[in-house]
Amino acid sequence: MFKVITQRCLKLSWVTLAGSDFAQVSTLNRASHIATIILFAILSSQPASSEEPIDFNRDIRPILAENCFYCHGQDGNKRQADLRLDIRDQAIKTNAIQPGKSSESSIVARIHSESVEDQMPPPKSNRHLTADQKRLLEKWIDQGANYSDHWAFVAPVRPPLPKLANPNWVRTPVDHFVQAKLEAEGLTPSPEADRATLIRRLHIDLIGLPPTPEQVDAFVNDSDPKAYEKLVDQLLESKHYGERMALSWLDAARYADSNGFQQDGDTWQWIWRDWVVRAFNENLPFDQFTIWQLAGDLLPNATNDQKIASGFNRNHLLNGEGGAIAEEQRFVVLFDRIDTTATTWLGLTMACAQCHDHKYDPITQVDYYSLLDAFNRVPETGTPQFFSSRIRVGAPFLELPSEEYKLKIAEFDSQITELEKEAAPMIDASFMGWRAGLFLDGEPADGKGLPDDLTKLLKKPEAERTNEEKLSVETLLRKYFDEKVRSSINYKSPAISKLSELRKQLGDYKANSLPRVMIMSDDKPRESHVLSRGEYLKPTDKVTFNTPGFLPPLAADAPRNRLGFAQWLVSPEQPLTARVQINRMWQNLFGVGLVKTTEDFGVQGEYPVHMALLDWLAVEFRESGWNMKAMQRLLLNSATYRQSSRMTPELRTRDSENRLVARASRFRMPSLILRDWSLYAAQMLDPRIAGAPVYPYQPDGIWESLAITKERDFTYPASSGNDLYRRSLYTFWRRTVGPANMFDASNRQTCRVRPSTTSTPLHALTTLNDPTWVEAARVLAEHSMKHSTVSADQIRFAFRKVLGRPPRDKELATLEKAMQKQLAFYTEDPVAAKAFVEVGSATRDAALELPMHAALTAVCLAILNLDEAMTRE
Amino acid sequence: MENLFQQNMARVNRRQLFGSAASGVGVAALASLLGGNALADKSTATPGSKGLPDLPHHLAKAKRVVLLWQGGGPSHVDLFDHKPTLQEMAGKDIPDSIRGSTRLSTMSSGYGKWPCVPAIKPFQNYGQSGIPLSSMLPKIGGIADEMTLVKSMHTEAVNHAPGVTFFLTGSQVPGRPSMGSWLSYGLGSESDNLPTFVVMTSSDKSKTCGQLFFDYYWGSGFLPSRFQGVRFRNTGDLVPYLANPPGVSPTARRALLDDIAIMNAEHLSDYGDPEIDTRIAQYEMAFQMQTSVPDLIDFSKESASTIERYGPDALAKGTFGNNCLIARRLLERGVRFVQLMHAGWDQHNNLYTQLEQQCADTDAPAAALVQDLKERGMLEDTLVIWGAEFGRTPFGQGDPAKPNGRDHFGRAFSWWMAGGGVKKGNVYGATDDYGWNITENPVHVHDMQATILHLCGIDHTRLTYRFQGRQFRLSDIHGDVVKGIVS
Repeated sequence: MFKVITQRCLKLSWVTLAGSDFAQVSTLNRASHIATIILFAILSSQPASSEEPIDFNRDIRPILAENCFYCHGQDGNKRQADLRLDIRDQAIKTNAIQPGKSSESSIVARIHSESVEDQMPPPKSNRHLTADQKRLLEKWIDQGANYSDHWAFVAPVRPPLPKLANPNWVRTPVDHFVQAKLEAEGLTPSPEADRATLIRRLHIDLIGLPPTPEQVDAFVNDSDPKAYEKLVDQLLESKHYGERMALSWLDAARYADSNGFQQDGDTWQWIWRDWVVRAFNENLPFDQFTIWQLAGDLLPNATNDQKIASGFNRNHLLNGEGGAIAEEQRFVVLFDRIDTTATTWLGLTMACAQCHDHKYDPITQVDYYSLLDAFNRVPETGTPQFFSSRIRVGAPFLELPSEEYKLKIAEFDSQITELEKEAAPMIDASFMGWRAGLFLDGEPADGKGLPDDLTKLLKKPEAERTNEEKLSVETLLRKYFDEKVRSSINYKSPAISKLSELRKQLGDYKANSLPRVMIMSDDKPRESHVLSRGEYLKPTDKVTFNTPGFLPPLAADAPRNRLGFAQWLVSPEQPLTARVQINRMWQNLFGVGLVKTTEDFGVQGEYPVHMALLDWLAVEFRESGWNMKAMQRLLLNSATYRQSSRMTPELRTRDSENRLVARASRFRMPSLILRDWSLYAAQMLDPRIAGAPVYPYQPDGIWESLAITKERDFTYPASSGNDLYRRSLYTFWRRTVGPANMFDASNRQTCRVRPSTTSTPLHALTTLNDPTWVEAARVLAEHSMKHSTVSADQIRFAFRKVLGRPPRDKELATLEKAMQKQLAFYTEDPVAAKAFVEVGSATRDAALELPMHAALTAVCLAILNLDEAMTRE
Repeated sequence: MENLFQQNMARVNRRQLFGSAASGVGVAALASLLGGNALADKSTATPGSKGLPDLPHHLAKAKRVVLLWQGGGPSHVDLFDHKPTLQEMAGKDIPDSIRGSTRLSTMSSGYGKWPCVPAIKPFQNYGQSGIPLSSMLPKIGGIADEMTLVKSMHTEAVNHAPGVTFFLTGSQVPGRPSMGSWLSYGLGSESDNLPTFVVMTSSDKSKTCGQLFFDYYWGSGFLPSRFQGVRFRNTGDLVPYLANPPGVSPTARRALLDDIAIMNAEHLSDYGDPEIDTRIAQYEMAFQMQTSVPDLIDFSKESASTIERYGPDALAKGTFGNNCLIARRLLERGVRFVQLMHAGWDQHNNLYTQLEQQCADTDAPAAALVQDLKERGMLEDTLVIWGAEFGRTPFGQGDPAKPNGRDHFGRAFSWWMAGGGVKKGNVYGATDDYGWNITENPVHVHDMQATILHLCGIDHTRLTYRFQGRQFRLSDIHGDVVKGIVS
């Protein structure tokens, strides 16, 4: 029976998602595409067993949500025929559903109708019910048309561990659930992957850097029965762990180093990015991780770190275009804040409720704006403030002068004081001279361009001025002189001109170098309203902060602000937060989430194949004190995680997406990691953690599409030296033009919680031709040549640096042949050889024989481009 | 698994047939590795992407699209929408009754004076259809009988980036898939060795306007990233990383790719993951692109008269003229969506000097593209679109006594379209005497999107993609096909 249920789940999820997922499926080649279609065909041909009870959430709600709720759901504005199918009583009252009597239920008649007017869903709606779905609906009605609350909106309860026929395989509770489902499906888990694969997999998933051949050997030969667990613990304590974990969090947080519109001002948000890395490394519990990022600024006696953490909600785009309407932009930012927060923590798409009650989920427009109220108290304008032609940051922000900055300012100040002393007599004399000149022609006030208030005072005969006015005249005159006149007397004294120059330099230095990280603050309470159709100019009913009505209420004594909201998110009654986060952790390790729709746990989201496992993990996560590393350990130590990722023909046909986890998943590493991997394999990576963004190799004119403005200089400020080899995480991310070699990355414009790992020719061109990879290949070749003079050993050395395992004989033979071919080319053309091994700015040992070095560089480039080298297996 | 190998071999053989040099040894090795040559003629796998199975929804009148984006907002009352009243009222305020409460940019919303500024150059009637256009656009006038001029475009956006993003993605906020991505996703590719969706940029020579081009104007949003537009660059390689590294000859590269393919194929037999096969195919296509892309800018087979027609800049890299010429060559080679983005129409304070210059730079190339396509028999199934994020205010900006520019204006402006399925010699929609309010047949951003998709054989309400629990589409939840544009 289990088998049938699971298969039906798979089938339903496929049907429901067919529209959207076609593209993803077709990124695979036709074969898997065909396999999927075959799978679908097989499943479609198996009607659900007649005795089996229907589960509303699993079987029926997806059909109703996809096909009916758009017009017959919660949204009153679009509701047709006054019919609601999302509430049982309403559906019965209108005769649409007669429990137990499908033949008397009007929806059954309508779904079977052939008439264009009567048929439901209407043929024009682009929605269509399959024969199977129609049968399911009928059977559900016949069985009593029971509704139940959407699973994800009910707090998870820890399920018991399932009983197993063969418990030997099990290592952690995770395996109980996986094994139970596999047994029901008549499948067996894949064998454990070999150790070389396991250490490489762990390195990819936990730190994103390759194990050295020595580390691989040590692990392979470690006879300690806890060798694997030891390795996991070691990697969880690596300082690179936080960098790896930060990558997907930055995607969710739409983190970038610039504002994202015309002028695209640079920001200081990397200070927030560094906090994220620290927080992961220190294993800040997820509840605190949440509270700090959403409301760190509101904590009592908030530390700088807590304030910086709140920058999560300041990573949005900022539009400073000439003519932009600030208030309109402020609402764009607010909406983005709600969308990002809701997707990241609740796995809900609140955005729909910006304009109308949500069509599928029970989120009303009032819910939306009641939540928005908590975010609507920030003293911000909606546009960035101009600090220099490069830096544009919007208040509120935290100024964090570094030691270096303070020293530099002190240096400026002492120089200025020094010069002031030197120049003072000269300046005073000039002022007196200028002042006298003002009165020479007897008409002191006119035609001198003096400010109005000053002119008015000057027009008053001196005798009539009060003492206060006399003083004021002098102050204003001196002020005017200092600001407007003094620069014209610079030529008179080197000290004066130096002083002016220094003052200007100081101003520029402050504007460009004083770190100002944008953070949250509630210093400007505003009234919040429901906005008609989401338009900021059409406020209607006033609302005050509250959490969405369909979720557990705020505690009575909770602060009615962002802090209360953040605490509510991590309260034990909250059904979503733990599930959503644990699902993302699963996705990072298994390629696909337990709920595939990572961004949507609403009624349109996927009904998880492994519901019990998800709930078990969510409860465990909360009860562990939201301990992220402990949860990682639980997943990583499982037998499930340790399986081989080989795909048997049977598994490819039965479960091409690996939802049953009868094997480990295989997926291409993120491009940011691919770059780090190559640099590390070539022993070039600069492992420094944190700091200001760097500017490694990009194609010439990477920002040329921006360089058509005169408003600022958009020349790419290419780094040199070690900065070229920092981890990709530290590459400057211009929001309008992302780094060209970090393909498939999130666009960092809106919140993204599901990664994209496609395969296109442009990606191949990048890893074959980008100087980053070519330089890494030639430096790796250089190390290989220093390691050995024997060709096979050189290749083996490079191979292991990239892949960990030694090459098999056949592979070595192929690569040696490749080497001979390349050597022939380069022996014939030493000029080409020289050009090839000079790519990049790393110094090269001139003693290395040219053709040999070039040929080995080509082979190393091939190794870096092997499918296996780019894939986490 | 057999099947995977067969497809792989089919592709390798295909490459051999299509004649890349020196493929010999490696391919032979691969062939023997995979067990012979029994699969020669079953070549079905092509690296180009397939479209959705249910598309087109109806017969497509346009098979491909070229969008000539005129960034900055060309002045409709100077170029397309002739308003003698502005002449009569020159210098006097636009009446309150006309202005109403129109939302303007903050550059002019605080004005107390709204002086009418007439068209800076006379209009004249063009073609048999007699469509009145500015005398600054004589060449475009020459194709008047091919076009539908839409005078009733409108948008809610008041600024450039949100306005451009609105037209190209259906939302003012960046992050959704762009029009070209939708079409690539829906209709797939007709080219095996060129991207489906290509973008080129240019700007006015004096860089007066500074409209920048952002990646999200051709982004794929939540669609898979392979549907994002590939921007041809104006410096260095046309496509990033297209050229082999220094010192790597095509022969050496070919040999290396063959060896990589052998290694990957072995790995495929070990792991059985179809993604490995995809990777092998993509590496092959990358190699092909290294020839097919540079070929696009090899103009040696273009006649002198053709090049001349595209204007004096036709051979200068990074100009609108050059991009129009490349666009035609892309369309000929089966590229689905070509998006040219030209900046320089944002005349806030240099209307009298820059507008004419801007017309001079863009008039000939745009017209030449239409004519060239027509002469090659391609215009009938190629949709050419000329338009921008908004128009410009009928009143002047700057000193009210001596205005020298116009501000952004989204309430009414003009676009023109020609080719695939577009009515010829046709004017659609109208505005009042001041070019301020639309008086008939308004065409909203979403209507235009619906119409463009319609011409490509797509029902805009049915080309959807599920993301975050919602079926998204280019036209958001709005839009009607404008029948008056469709032939």
